[in-house]
Amino acid sequence: MNKREFLARLRLGLSGLPQDDIEERLIFYSEMIDDRMEEGHSETEAVGSIGTVDDVVSQILTDAPPTGPVEEKNKPGRSMRPWEITLLVLGFPVWFPLLIAAFAVLLAVYIVLWSVVLSLWAAEVSLWAVALSGAVVVFTAHGPGGVVMLSAGLCCAGLSILLFFGCKAVTKGILRLTRRAALWFKSLFVGKEAA
Amino acid sequence: MDIQLKRGLLDVCVLAAIKSKDSYGYQIIKDMKPYLELSESTLYTILKRLETANLLTVRTVEHGGRLRKYYHITGAGLKRIEDFKGEWEEILSIYRFVTKGDDGDE
Repeated sequence: MNKREFLARLRLGLSGLPQDDIEERLIFYSEMIDDRMEEGHSETEAVGSIGTVDDVVSQILTDAPPTGPVEEKNKPGRSMRPWEITLLVLGFPVWFPLLIAAFAVLLAVYIVLWSVVLSLWAAEVSLWAVALSGAVVVFTAHGPGGVVMLSAGLCCAGLSILLFFGCKAVTKGILRLTRRAALWFKSLFVGKEAA
Repeated sequence: MDIQLKRGLLDVCVLAAIKSKDSYGYQIIKDMKPYLELSESTLYTILKRLETANLLTVRTVEHGGRLRKYYHITGAGLKRIEDFKGEWEEILSIYRFVTKGDDGDE
């Protein structure tokens, strides 16, 4: 039996389990077969060393499901009742614009957040520019003007160093927030998936 | 063997297999082979359980034109191994108490 046949039969044997669980297990077994083949085994040998599909299926079904009973996992994927579908269709003119509005507000907030970050980085660059120009002017200007420029440049250099850490922390924070939001958004549609 | 005890032992064994460096499914099975035979389905169940308990994390890496999942032990996973060592001392002490006098060495 080759890998494709094995996985197809395994999928059939596990059809009672939740869909995402089946997909994850198939990926796991596929990787196991690939790793054996990479070690020098032929495809048939690699598949054979995993065991027969019947044995594997019975082992999987005997092992306690790792994340709760099947019924519980199936709940979010249950089919909708007729009254729920009717309500959804009739309410479309109301909920759809609201959904779009909510999405637009969230997007606007997100853009504002990034604008703040961008402004902070712009301020950081400006401070460095002032610090550098202060250093240059001190050689060209004489008298109190040069001293003032030098002091301003030094102050800006100090401030820019402090601001750099602030900018870095804020950027990292927003990136982390983005990743979390994206994962949450993804989980609404495709369920949990390993990293 | 008591099923709870066995489950706990297997969890710690898998954690120990990824303790020194991140590893992948087939490598874990090979590393554990001299000590105990582990089927793929059992390993899968253990890995899922450990992941749910945040004792390990999973990352997918491209390897030779395909994807392979690597398992990485977390701080909580390392603590679990340390806890196990402490618990094992207790179990050994109980074992010594239970078997005391069995060889006639009272």
